[in-house]
Formats: sequence, structure tokens, C-alpha cells
Amino acid sequence: MNHNRQSNDGKHDDDSALSDFLASLMDYTPTIPDELVEHYLAKSGFQCPDVRLIRLVAVATQKFVAEVANDALQHCKARQAAVVKDKREKQQKDKRLILTMDDLSKSLREVGIPVTCSDVLKKNGHAFLFFVFND
Amino acid sequence: MNNGCLENRKKEHDNSQKRPKSYKFGSKSDDFALAIAKVAVAQLCESVGFQGFHLSALETLSDISVRYIYSIGKTANLSANLAGRVEGNVFDIIHGLEDLGSNLGFSGASDVDRCVVSSGVVKDITHFVGVSDFIPFAYDVSGFPVVKESTKTGSFWEKEEVPPGEHIPSWLPAFPDPETYATRLSVENETMGVSNGKKTESELERVERTMDRSLLNLQLRFAHNENKGGSSHGSGYVATESNPYLAAPLHVGEKEVSPVVLPTKLSNEVALRNPVHVDVGNHVSVLETFAPAIEAMKSGLCDSDNGKKKLLYDQRPTVRFKIGIGKKSLGTISDFGSQNEEDLLKIASWFGNDNEKDDKKRRVEKILKESVESSKE
Repeated sequence: MNHNRQSNDGKHDDDSALSDFLASLMDYTPTIPDELVEHYLAKSGFQCPDVRLIRLVAVATQKFVAEVANDALQHCKARQAAVVKDKREKQQKDKRLILTMDDLSKSLREVGIPVTCSDVLKKNGHAFLFFVFND
Repeated sequence: MNNGCLENRKKEHDNSQKRPKSYKFGSKSDDFALAIAKVAVAQLCESVGFQGFHLSALETLSDISVRYIYSIGKTANLSANLAGRVEGNVFDIIHGLEDLGSNLGFSGASDVDRCVVSSGVVKDITHFVGVSDFIPFAYDVSGFPVVKESTKTGSFWEKEEVPPGEHIPSWLPAFPDPETYATRLSVENETMGVSNGKKTESELERVERTMDRSLLNLQLRFAHNENKGGSSHGSGYVATESNPYLAAPLHVGEKEVSPVVLPTKLSNEVALRNPVHVDVGNHVSVLETFAPAIEAMKSGLCDSDNGKKKLLYDQRPTVRFKIGIGKKSLGTISDFGSQNEEDLLKIASWFGNDNEKDDKKRRVEKILKESVESSKE
């Protein structure tokens, strides 16, 4: 009985938390525009007139991209730290943090998206993407 | 290193067959959306701390983010359909997010009887929203793709017309205006109902008027043909209103037309060969037909006065049909005035242009002989 009551209260709290969160989403405008998200959701067949859900998807995507970028940044900084130990001349050059395919592919592989890009193709500026999404 | 490269190449070869799958997001029609995604992703990278990026890396990340949105939508749609719904709701989206985050893991993933509402995914997102800075998108994006408004052809019910026939329901699109199928109007009259009687009469009058107008314009156009002026603009404009090709065919005697002049020899031979009655208004002799040409030649082969030109164009120009007579010279040209061989050759060339050179030569010889003989006489 107690357990049930507790779970009921918990559910009620969770419900309110979710609804509060969705309401707060209307104040926070995500970086990814709503129109873009709407376009791709429509492409996938997902119909929803509710704007809050579109904002939810946009925020989720933003979180995902931010995580991947953060991981790549960590890889980049780690690489620079390793280089600085060897040569101090490169210190000034490598102050700029640049997102490269190497760092990106490492961080994406951790998320579960294997991105292969051979060295030869990289020189030509092409990147062939092979990864599995649940399409 | 060599082994690794070989393996990569094999993977690429195998996966190249999967290329069409990824083409969904690489096609030209998606360029606009991808460009917007690139801008958004670049802004996010900048907020994270990056100061620059390789173009290939940016394209990769923006492509992946777009696919992320797409796969959330697909999973949410799938769960909504499984529940028997067409429209998705928040629980479907949370299911989708959990599916995508399952390989990384989220708090509470291992709980058996967890509720979707208290999902760890939502908590993570809530935390993220609380922590992250507010970065608005750099540009104003209007809704896309822009849907073209379709021109609705009104139904019978909307146009308040009664459909011709009981078998046609009123919600079907109405028939087009009878002007577009004017030739069949006489047949339609019988089939159309009484209620449409008045309407068809007025439309008939309208059709007749347009037909007359178009015919007039056609005539004008033929008359002005030689001037090659800008007057064709006016006639052309009127012609576009009513299609002359759809006008009813003229009966014999309805319109005054200049008679078609056939050379007598031709007409005779045709009559002999074919039992068909050739209805020619006037049997004009060869001399008369070629009178203007002869006069023109008398004045000079190259020059011709305007007056004589008018003479020529009073009559309808002869239409030369190939009625399968064979390679014979056209008529006796014995009464030509000019004696020069060059002129005769030119005349011969008028009548023998489409034959082979040997025949041409033969004809020229024939003509020369005849003219010489006649001049002797």
C-alpha cells in the first residue's frame, strides 16, 4: 500500500516535472530552428501539431551535437597537450582549436556511429560516411 | 598500416552498394535544409569552444544531426502507429530518444518497471537546458518547403451546375467549358438535359461568334502575308483567344475563295487516270495560267514591278501537287517570247527542280527544240 502510494506520488511528480519542462521549453529557443526540425520530422512521417514536442526534439538534437562536439574538443586538446610536450615551437600554432575529421570520427565512434574516412579521400576533401541508423 | 588500408577499401566497396540509402540526405532537393543545419551546427561548435573546423568535418556532423532528427521522428512514428494512433505524442518521442540513447546508456535504463515519464533521457535533457547558454539561430528561417497552391477545379456542387447525367455525382470536378470542344457541340445538344438548354444556346452563339472572328483573322493573316509587317501581332493575339483548328469545318460555297488554277494538261490527265470528279471552277488554259509569269519574263527575269506583283497575287498561287504523273515536262512552252538560251534554261529550271539532273538536261533539250521549231514557224 505504502509502496503504491509512493509510486503514485512519484508518478504525479514526474508528470508535473515533465509538463513543467515542456512549458519551460517555450521560453528556451534552441539553436536548431523549428522549421528545420519540422521539415525532417515531416519527412520521416511523424505528424504532430504540438510545438512543444518539436522543441523537445530540437533540444535533444542540440544536446547530442553538443556532446559529440565536446568529445571532439577533448580529443583535440589532448592531442595538442601531447604535441606540446615534444615541441614547444608548435605551441603558438596549435592554440587554435579546429574541428577535424580525426577527432570527430573518434568521438562519433564512442557514441556508436562508425565514420570511416581514408587518408587518400581526405586529401581530396571528400568524406565517405558509412554508419547505421535505424532507418 | 597496409592491412588497415586494404580493409578500409573493402569496407568502402561493400558499403558503396548501400550508397542509395544515404542519398536521401545528399540529394540536391535537400540542399537548403542541409545548409541551415550546417549553420546551426557551426554555431553549436563555436559555443562548445571550437575556433575553426574542416569543411568535411562540419558537413559530416551536420549530416549526422539531420539523420538524428529523422530517426527520432521515425521511431516516434513507429511507436505511435503501434499504439494505433496517427499523431505522435510526447511518450512516442521519449521512446525514440531512449532507443537512440540505448547504446550509450541513460540513467534508469536497466529498471524493468520504469515509467516513461520519469525517463533518464528527459532528466538529462532538462539538465542540459538548465546548464547551456541561450544561442539563437543566426538567421530568420521561414517555413519550408513552400507548398504550391493547387488550382482547384470546382466540383459540380461548388459551381452549382447540375451534372449532365444521373451517373455523375456532384462532388466530381465539373466539365470544362464547351468552347474547348466546340466541334462536338451539336452532338452534345442532344445528350444534354433540358435544364442546360438555355445555357447551351448562349454558348452556341458565343462559339459561333468566336469562330467567325477567328476565320476573319485567318483571312486577314493570309492577305497580309506578303507584307511581313508587325500586324501579325494583332491577328496572333486574337487567334489565341479561339483555336481556329477547333472551328467547325466550312461547307462548300460558304466562303468565297479564289479558284485553284490547275494546268489543263494536268487536270486532263488526272481525270483520265482517276475516275474521281475533280471539281475545278474554271478550266483555264495553260497560257492564261502562265500569263503573269510570261509578262514578268518579258520585262526582265530579275526585276518585276509592283503592279505586276499585284497581278500575280490577285489569283491564288498555284499549288503544285505530285499526282504521280511521272517525269514529264509540264505543258507546251512554245509561246515564250525570249530567245536566249540562258533564259530558257532558267525557265526549264523552274519546272524541273525536283528531278534528277539527267531529266533536267533532257527537258532543257526538249524545250530548246520546241522553241526553235516554233520560232521557225
